[in-house]
Amino acid sequence: MPVIHVRMDNRLIHGQILVSWNSAFKIEHIIVTNDRVASDPLQVTLLKAVAPLTAKVSVLSIKDCVAYCKSPEAEKENIFIIAKFPEDGFALVEEGLNMPELNLGNQAFVRGSKKISNTVFLTESGVKALKSLHERGLRVTCRMMPSDADTDYWPTLEKALPEWAK
Amino acid sequence: MAEGMIDAARMIVGDMESVVSVSLKEMDAVEDLMARIEAALIEVDKGDGALVLVDAFGASPFNASARLAMNRKNIEVITGMNLPMLLELAVQREGQDLKAVTKIALEAGTTSIRTLSQTLKSD
Repeated sequence: MPVIHVRMDNRLIHGQILVSWNSAFKIEHIIVTNDRVASDPLQVTLLKAVAPLTAKVSVLSIKDCVAYCKSPEAEKENIFIIAKFPEDGFALVEEGLNMPELNLGNQAFVRGSKKISNTVFLTESGVKALKSLHERGLRVTCRMMPSDADTDYWPTLEKALPEWAK
Repeated sequence: MAEGMIDAARMIVGDMESVVSVSLKEMDAVEDLMARIEAALIEVDKGDGALVLVDAFGASPFNASARLAMNRKNIEVITGMNLPMLLELAVQREGQDLKAVTKIALEAGTTSIRTLSQTLKSD
Protein backbone atom coordinates (compact mmCIF):
# COMPACT_ATOMS: atom_id res chain seq x y z
CA MET A 1 0.00 0.00 0.00
CA PRO A 2 1.48 3.35 -0.97
CA VAL A 3 -0.06 5.43 1.82
CA ILE A 4 1.47 4.07 5.00
CA HIS A 5 0.10 6.58 7.47
CA VAL A 6 -2.30 9.51 7.71
CA ARG A 7 -1.72 11.95 10.54
CA MET A 8 -3.78 15.00 11.42
CA ASP A 9 -1.32 17.42 12.97
CA ASN A 10 -1.64 21.17 12.88
CA ARG A 11 2.10 21.63 13.34
CA LEU A 12 2.53 19.90 9.97
CA ILE A 13 6.17 18.86 9.49
CA HIS A 14 8.04 19.32 12.77
CA GLY A 15 10.46 17.60 15.14
CA GLN A 16 8.32 14.55 15.99
CA ILE A 17 7.78 13.81 12.31
CA LEU A 18 11.34 14.38 11.18
CA VAL A 19 12.88 12.32 13.96
CA SER A 20 10.48 9.73 15.40
CA TRP A 21 8.08 8.97 12.57
CA ASN A 22 10.71 9.22 9.90
CA SER A 23 12.88 6.65 11.65
CA ALA A 24 9.97 4.30 12.39
CA PHE A 25 8.76 4.13 8.79
CA LYS A 26 10.65 4.11 5.55
CA ILE A 27 9.00 7.35 4.45
CA GLU A 28 9.79 8.27 0.87
CA HIS A 29 7.23 10.98 0.29
CA ILE A 30 5.63 13.31 2.81
CA ILE A 31 2.45 14.92 1.50
CA VAL A 32 1.19 17.84 3.54
CA THR A 33 -2.42 18.44 2.68
CA ASN A 34 -4.68 21.35 3.53
CA ASP A 35 -6.24 23.69 0.99
CA ARG A 36 -5.12 26.88 2.74
CA VAL A 37 -1.55 25.76 3.34
CA ALA A 38 -1.25 24.57 -0.26
CA SER A 39 -2.18 28.02 -1.52
CA ASP A 40 0.31 29.86 0.71
CA PRO A 41 3.61 30.04 -1.24
CA LEU A 42 5.64 30.96 1.84
CA GLN A 43 4.50 27.91 3.79
CA VAL A 44 4.99 25.67 0.77
CA THR A 45 8.59 26.91 0.37
CA LEU A 46 9.35 26.34 4.03
CA LEU A 47 7.75 22.89 4.21
CA LYS A 48 9.81 21.77 1.22
CA ALA A 49 12.95 23.20 2.82
CA VAL A 50 12.57 21.08 5.95
CA ALA A 51 12.26 17.80 4.03
CA PRO A 52 14.34 15.00 5.53
CA LEU A 53 17.24 13.86 3.33
CA THR A 54 15.52 10.58 2.51
CA ALA A 55 12.06 11.84 1.56
CA LYS A 56 10.54 14.37 -0.78
CA VAL A 57 7.86 16.77 0.36
CA SER A 58 4.76 17.86 -1.55
CA VAL A 59 2.17 20.33 -0.36
CA LEU A 60 -1.16 19.63 -2.03
CA SER A 61 -4.81 20.50 -1.79
CA ILE A 62 -7.03 17.68 -0.48
CA LYS A 63 -8.26 16.95 -4.00
CA ASP A 64 -4.78 16.87 -5.50
CA CYS A 65 -3.49 14.75 -2.64
CA VAL A 66 -6.10 12.04 -3.18
CA ALA A 67 -5.67 12.19 -6.96
CA TYR A 68 -1.94 11.73 -6.54
CA CYS A 69 -2.34 8.85 -4.09
CA LYS A 70 -4.54 7.05 -6.62
CA SER A 71 -2.03 7.57 -9.43
CA PRO A 72 0.34 4.81 -10.60
CA GLU A 73 3.28 6.96 -9.52
CA ALA A 74 2.17 6.69 -5.89
CA GLU A 75 2.21 2.89 -6.03
CA LYS A 76 6.00 2.95 -5.99
CA GLU A 77 6.35 5.11 -2.88
CA ASN A 78 5.86 4.92 0.87
CA ILE A 79 3.68 7.96 1.45
CA PHE A 80 3.14 9.65 4.80
CA ILE A 81 0.24 12.09 4.72
CA ILE A 82 0.00 15.01 7.12
CA ALA A 83 -3.39 16.71 7.14
CA LYS A 84 -3.75 19.83 9.25
CA PHE A 85 -7.14 19.32 10.91
CA PRO A 86 -9.64 16.49 11.50
CA GLU A 87 -11.81 18.12 8.81
CA ASP A 88 -8.95 17.55 6.36
CA GLY A 89 -8.78 13.91 7.39
CA PHE A 90 -12.48 13.55 6.73
CA ALA A 91 -12.20 15.37 3.41
CA LEU A 92 -9.47 12.93 2.31
CA VAL A 93 -11.79 10.00 2.95
CA GLU A 94 -14.73 11.79 1.29
CA GLU A 95 -12.54 12.38 -1.74
CA GLY A 96 -11.90 8.64 -1.91
CA LEU A 97 -8.69 7.96 -0.04
CA ASN A 98 -8.68 4.42 1.23
CA MET A 99 -7.25 4.18 4.74
CA PRO A 100 -8.08 1.92 7.67
CA GLU A 101 -6.68 4.29 10.30
CA LEU A 102 -6.32 8.04 10.75
CA ASN A 103 -4.07 9.26 13.50
CA LEU A 104 -4.67 12.41 15.49
CA GLY A 105 -1.40 14.14 16.29
CA ASN A 106 -0.99 17.62 17.73
CA GLN A 107 -4.16 19.69 17.64
CA ALA A 108 -3.39 23.00 19.30
CA PHE A 109 -5.96 25.25 20.90
CA VAL A 110 -7.95 27.26 18.38
CA ARG A 111 -10.90 29.52 19.05
CA GLY A 112 -13.91 27.51 20.21
CA SER A 113 -11.94 24.34 20.86
CA LYS A 114 -12.05 22.24 24.01
CA LYS A 115 -9.22 20.46 25.71
CA ILE A 116 -8.95 16.68 25.66
CA SER A 117 -5.29 16.53 26.67
CA ASN A 118 -2.25 18.83 26.67
CA THR A 119 -1.71 18.18 22.99
CA VAL A 120 -5.26 17.72 21.70
CA PHE A 121 -7.86 20.49 21.54
CA LEU A 122 -10.85 19.95 19.27
CA THR A 123 -13.59 22.14 17.86
CA GLU A 124 -17.14 20.93 17.45
CA SER A 125 -16.67 20.60 13.73
CA GLY A 126 -13.45 18.65 14.31
CA VAL A 127 -15.27 16.22 16.60
CA LYS A 128 -18.05 15.83 14.00
CA ALA A 129 -15.46 15.05 11.35
CA LEU A 130 -13.88 12.38 13.55
CA LYS A 131 -17.33 11.02 14.34
CA SER A 132 -18.07 10.62 10.64
CA LEU A 133 -14.80 8.74 10.23
CA HIS A 134 -15.66 6.52 13.18
CA GLU A 135 -19.15 5.85 11.77
CA ARG A 136 -17.64 4.80 8.48
CA GLY A 137 -15.78 2.10 10.34
CA LEU A 138 -12.41 3.81 10.26
CA ARG A 139 -10.26 3.76 13.32
CA VAL A 140 -9.27 7.11 14.75
CA THR A 141 -6.14 6.85 16.88
CA CYS A 142 -4.20 9.42 18.88
CA ARG A 143 -0.50 8.68 18.75
CA MET A 144 2.07 11.41 19.25
CA MET A 145 4.89 8.89 18.84
CA PRO A 146 5.05 5.75 16.69
CA SER A 147 5.50 3.71 19.89
CA ASP A 148 2.15 4.90 21.31
CA ALA A 149 -0.62 2.28 21.27
CA ASP A 150 -2.85 2.34 18.19
CA THR A 151 -6.02 1.91 20.22
CA ASP A 152 -9.33 3.37 19.08
CA TYR A 153 -9.55 6.95 20.35
CA TRP A 154 -13.24 7.45 19.71
CA PRO A 155 -14.43 6.13 23.15
CA THR A 156 -12.11 8.65 24.83
CA LEU A 157 -13.49 11.46 22.69
CA GLU A 158 -17.06 10.41 23.32
CA LYS A 159 -16.41 10.47 27.05
CA ALA A 160 -14.52 13.76 27.04
CA LEU A 161 -16.91 15.73 24.84
CA PRO A 162 -20.29 13.95 25.06
CA GLU A 163 -22.30 16.98 23.90
CA TRP A 164 -20.31 17.23 20.64
CA ALA A 165 -19.93 13.49 20.10
CA LYS A 166 -23.70 12.88 20.08
CA MET B 1 15.01 25.16 27.09
CA ALA B 2 15.55 28.75 25.87
CA GLU B 3 14.99 30.14 29.33
CA GLY B 4 17.47 27.66 30.80
CA MET B 5 20.01 28.60 28.17
CA ILE B 6 19.78 32.28 29.12
CA ASP B 7 20.02 31.41 32.83
CA ALA B 8 23.15 29.39 32.19
CA ALA B 9 24.69 32.15 30.08
CA ARG B 10 23.88 34.78 32.70
CA MET B 11 25.91 32.85 35.27
CA ILE B 12 28.94 33.16 33.03
CA VAL B 13 28.67 36.58 31.40
CA GLY B 14 26.11 38.40 33.54
CA ASP B 15 22.96 40.08 32.31
CA MET B 16 22.60 40.35 28.54
CA GLU B 17 20.78 43.23 26.94
CA SER B 18 18.23 42.67 24.19
CA VAL B 19 18.19 38.92 24.66
CA VAL B 20 14.83 37.33 25.33
CA SER B 21 13.64 33.76 25.42
CA VAL B 22 10.51 32.28 23.90
CA SER B 23 9.61 28.70 24.73
CA LEU B 24 7.42 26.22 22.88
CA LYS B 25 4.63 24.80 24.97
CA GLU B 26 3.08 21.44 24.34
CA MET B 27 -0.30 22.92 23.44
CA ASP B 28 1.02 25.65 21.14
CA ALA B 29 -0.02 26.00 17.54
CA VAL B 30 2.79 27.25 15.31
CA GLU B 31 0.78 30.46 14.94
CA ASP B 32 0.78 30.98 18.75
CA LEU B 33 4.51 30.54 18.82
CA MET B 34 4.88 32.94 15.88
CA ALA B 35 2.95 35.60 17.76
CA ARG B 36 5.25 35.30 20.78
CA ILE B 37 8.40 35.31 18.68
CA GLU B 38 7.15 38.34 16.78
CA ALA B 39 6.56 40.20 20.05
CA ALA B 40 10.10 39.29 21.11
CA LEU B 41 11.51 40.50 17.78
CA ILE B 42 9.74 43.83 18.17
CA GLU B 43 11.18 44.09 21.66
CA VAL B 44 14.82 43.44 20.73
CA ASP B 45 15.09 44.76 17.17
CA LYS B 46 16.24 48.36 17.38
CA GLY B 47 16.33 48.62 13.60
CA ASP B 48 19.47 46.63 12.81
CA GLY B 49 17.73 43.30 12.79
CA ALA B 50 17.76 40.30 15.09
CA LEU B 51 19.17 36.79 15.21
CA VAL B 52 16.90 33.96 16.34
CA LEU B 53 18.60 30.95 17.93
CA VAL B 54 16.56 27.74 17.77
CA ASP B 55 17.21 24.11 18.67
CA ALA B 56 16.56 21.87 15.68
CA PHE B 57 16.15 22.51 11.97
CA GLY B 58 12.58 21.68 10.93
CA ALA B 59 11.22 21.63 14.48
CA SER B 60 8.34 23.95 15.44
CA PRO B 61 10.48 26.80 16.89
CA PHE B 62 12.47 26.84 13.66
CA ASN B 63 9.34 26.67 11.50
CA ALA B 64 7.70 29.54 13.36
CA SER B 65 10.84 31.71 13.25
CA ALA B 66 11.41 30.96 9.59
CA ARG B 67 7.89 31.98 8.63
CA LEU B 68 8.43 35.32 10.40
CA ALA B 69 11.91 35.82 8.98
CA MET B 70 10.66 35.26 5.45
CA ASN B 71 8.18 38.10 5.94
CA ARG B 72 10.42 40.60 7.75
CA LYS B 73 13.63 42.36 6.93
CA ASN B 74 16.91 41.65 8.70
CA ILE B 75 15.98 38.55 10.63
CA GLU B 76 18.27 35.51 10.54
CA VAL B 77 17.52 32.12 12.06
CA ILE B 78 20.28 29.80 13.25
CA THR B 79 19.74 26.19 14.34
CA GLY B 80 21.68 23.97 16.73
CA MET B 81 21.59 26.57 19.49
CA ASN B 82 24.13 25.79 22.19
CA LEU B 83 25.64 27.56 25.17
CA PRO B 84 29.01 28.43 23.58
CA MET B 85 27.10 30.02 20.68
CA LEU B 86 25.10 32.20 23.03
CA LEU B 87 28.15 33.12 25.13
CA GLU B 88 30.20 34.16 22.14
CA LEU B 89 27.31 36.31 20.92
CA ALA B 90 27.01 37.89 24.35
CA VAL B 91 30.60 39.06 24.37
CA GLN B 92 31.19 39.77 20.68
CA ARG B 93 28.02 41.14 19.10
CA GLU B 94 28.37 44.78 20.21
CA GLY B 95 28.70 47.10 17.21
CA GLN B 96 28.44 44.31 14.63
CA ASP B 97 25.81 44.00 11.92
CA LEU B 98 23.49 41.02 11.56
CA LYS B 99 25.70 39.28 9.02
CA ALA B 100 28.76 39.50 11.24
CA VAL B 101 26.81 38.44 14.30
CA THR B 102 25.46 35.42 12.45
CA LYS B 103 28.99 34.42 11.46
CA ILE B 104 30.11 34.64 15.09
CA ALA B 105 27.24 32.39 16.16
CA LEU B 106 27.83 29.86 13.41
CA GLU B 107 31.53 29.56 14.16
CA ALA B 108 31.15 29.43 17.93
CA GLY B 109 28.33 26.92 17.68
CA THR B 110 30.14 24.50 15.41
CA THR B 111 33.74 24.76 16.68
CA SER B 112 32.61 24.27 20.27
CA ILE B 113 31.52 20.71 19.61
CA ARG B 114 34.41 18.40 20.37
CA THR B 115 35.34 15.38 22.45
CA LEU B 116 37.78 15.05 25.29
CA SER B 117 39.95 12.49 23.50
CA GLN B 118 40.14 14.67 20.41
CA THR B 119 41.23 17.60 22.57
CA LEU B 120 43.90 15.62 24.44
CA LYS B 121 45.27 14.15 21.23
CA SER B 122 45.79 17.52 19.58
CA ASP B 123 47.89 18.80 22.48
